[in-house]
Amino acid sequence: MENTIPNELNESAVKPSRKKDRTPRDNAVLAGKIAGKTCFYLFLAALCVLFLFPVVWMIVNSMKTKEEIDSAMNTFWTFLPSAHPSHWFQAYGKMFTAYTYFGRSIFNSFLYCGITILAMLVLNSLAGYALTRIVFPGHKVITTIILLLLIVPVETSVVSTYVLLSGLGLTRGETSILGYLITGFVSPMYIFMFRSYFMGIPKELEEAANIDGCGKLRTFFLVIVPCCKPVFATVAIFTFMGQWNEYVFAQLMFAGRQDLMPLQVFLQLVQKGTDATGDMSVTMAALTFGTIPIAIVYIFCQKYIVEGVAFSGLK
Amino acid sequence: MQEVQTTASASESRSEMPKKPKKPKKAYFKLFGTSYKKSDSLVGLGFILPACILGILFIFIPIAISLTYAFTDMDFTDVGIRAPHFIGFENFRIMFAEDKIIWKALGNTFLFVVVAVPFQLAVALGLALILNKKKLRCNTFFRWAFFMPVMLSLAVTSFLWINLVSRTGLVTVMLEKIGFNMDKLLLENPNTAMGVIIFVSVWQGAGYQMLIFLSGLKNIPPELYEAASLDGASPSKMFFSITLPAIKPTFSFVAVTTLIGAFKLITQPMIMTQGGPDNSTYTMSYFIYDRARNGGKGLGYSSAVAFFYTIVMAAIALVLRKITSGDNTEAK
Repeated sequence: MENTIPNELNESAVKPSRKKDRTPRDNAVLAGKIAGKTCFYLFLAALCVLFLFPVVWMIVNSMKTKEEIDSAMNTFWTFLPSAHPSHWFQAYGKMFTAYTYFGRSIFNSFLYCGITILAMLVLNSLAGYALTRIVFPGHKVITTIILLLLIVPVETSVVSTYVLLSGLGLTRGETSILGYLITGFVSPMYIFMFRSYFMGIPKELEEAANIDGCGKLRTFFLVIVPCCKPVFATVAIFTFMGQWNEYVFAQLMFAGRQDLMPLQVFLQLVQKGTDATGDMSVTMAALTFGTIPIAIVYIFCQKYIVEGVAFSGLK
Repeated sequence: MQEVQTTASASESRSEMPKKPKKPKKAYFKLFGTSYKKSDSLVGLGFILPACILGILFIFIPIAISLTYAFTDMDFTDVGIRAPHFIGFENFRIMFAEDKIIWKALGNTFLFVVVAVPFQLAVALGLALILNKKKLRCNTFFRWAFFMPVMLSLAVTSFLWINLVSRTGLVTVMLEKIGFNMDKLLLENPNTAMGVIIFVSVWQGAGYQMLIFLSGLKNIPPELYEAASLDGASPSKMFFSITLPAIKPTFSFVAVTTLIGAFKLITQPMIMTQGGPDNSTYTMSYFIYDRARNGGKGLGYSSAVAFFYTIVMAAIALVLRKITSGDNTEAK
C-alpha cells in the first residue's frame, strides 16, 4: 500500500484488455483491486475526518447560538450550522461589539509581520552579502560567530530580553511595539541562508556592474536582489509564519494593552470571556475570523513554502 | 550610434579611473597581516553593522543578563527597582538538590520529544507517500485537508482544543458516549494532559512536514522505479532501497528541525494547561518562563535553570549535528 508505483507501471505497460477478452480470473483480480481501492479510500476519508473535524466544528459552532451549540453537542447536528440563517453571524456581531479591539488585533498582527519581514530582508541580506563578497576587517570573526550560533541553540529566556528592553525604556506604552519588534530583526539562520545563496551567484555579474560604474550598494539592489528572488521570498514567508504564530513574547510585552495586542494574544481575552459566560460561539467566531486572513496567505504561498524549504535546509 | 558613444565614454572613464585614486597607498591598509581595500572595508562594515549591533544587543546581551542573574536573588518585580544581590551558587544548589519540579519538567520535555517527534514524522511521511501516488483521486483535496491544521496558528489550535476537550466540548461528549469515564476532563487528568498536548501538536504540525516530504518524493527520478520493477523488485524492497535513501537528506533535515522545535515546546502548555495538572505538562521552556515571570523563586533561579538547559540543548544539538553530518558523508 505504501508504494504502488510498480503496479502502475505494469498497468501502463500492458494496455487495458477489452471486456469480452477478460477471463474469470481477471475478473476476480479486478474485483479484489476494486475492494482494495475502496478500503484505501475509506481509510483516507477517515484520516480526512480526523484532520478536518475540529476545523469544521470550529467554523460551524461560530454560526450558532449558545443554546443551539449545547443542545446539538450529542448529535450529528454539531457538525451543521444553525437551522436559522439569521443566527449565522450573530456570534461574529457579538464578538465585534464585545471586543472592540478585535479587528485592531488582526491589523496589528499584519503590521508586525510586515515590519519584521521588511527589516529582516534588508538587514540580513545586506549582512549576508557583505560576508560573501566584500573583504573587510572582522569578516572571518563574524562568519565564525554566525556559524557557531547556528550549531549551538542559544536559548535565552524571553524574560531576560524583556529585562533588557525595560532597561532601554522600550516596554512602556507604544514604544513597546518597537521593543517587541526590534528583537526579531536579525537572525543568524537567515544571514546564513542569504550567504549560501549569494555564493552561488557568478561573480562576473557584479564585476560587470562595477565596470559600468555601479557602487556596491547599487550593485546589490539592482543586480543581486533581482537575481535572488527565491531566497528573499523564502525568508519573507518563513518570517511571516514565525511572526504570525508568535505568542509568548507578545503576551509578555503587551499585557494589559488591548489596542497593541496581536491576534494570538487577543484570543486569550476572548477565551476568558467564554470561560465566564459559557458561550463558546464567540470564541469560535474569533478563531475562525482570525484564521481567514492567514489561510488566504497560505493558499497563495504554498508553492513557495515548499520550494523554500527545499533549498534552505537541504543544501 | 548611441551605444558606441556610451561605450566610448565608459572606456574614457575607465582610463580616468587610475588617476582618481592617485594615492594608491592610502586605498589599502593592513590589519593583522591581511591587507584590506579601504573603500570595500567601509562598505562592508556599513552593510553588516546594523545586523551586528542588533545581534549584540538582542542575542548576546540577554545571554549576559541571564548569566549574571543566575548567581543572584533577583525577582521579576525587582527589575529596575533594586540592584541584584550576589548569592553565589545558591540557585544551582536549589536546582539540583531541592527542586523536584524541574526534573519533572525535564522528564516531560523528553517524553514529548520521544513520543511526539517520531509520531509526527511517521504520520507526515505516511501522508506524503499516500499523496505521492500518481493515480490518487482528489489529490488536491486530500493535500489541503491534511494541510488545513497548519493554517491555524499554534494559539488558535490550542484555544480550539481547549474547547473541544472542555466539559461541554465535542471530544469529551463523544468519549463519554463511547463509555469512557469523563469525571476528570482530559486536560485535568495528569495521566492524559500531556497526551492531549502531544496529539494536538502532531495534528497541527504533521501537514507542514508532509508537504516537505512530498517535495522530496517528487524529486526522485521515476526511472529508478522503472529499472527496479524491470529487475523484479517488490514494493517494500523499492521503498527501502530507493525511496528511503533518496529522501534521506530531506528526512534528516525535517527530523532535526522538528526535534529542536520539540525541545522548545512552550505555547501549547502555556495556553492549555499552565503546567498543570500536578505539574504533568511543565516543559523546560515553560518552566523557565513561568518561574521568571510568576514563580516565587524569581528571575535569578529561572536564569540558572535556563543556563543549565542551554548546556543540555547545546550538547544535544552537537550530537545531532555529528549524526547528520555522518549521514551526509555516507550519502556522498
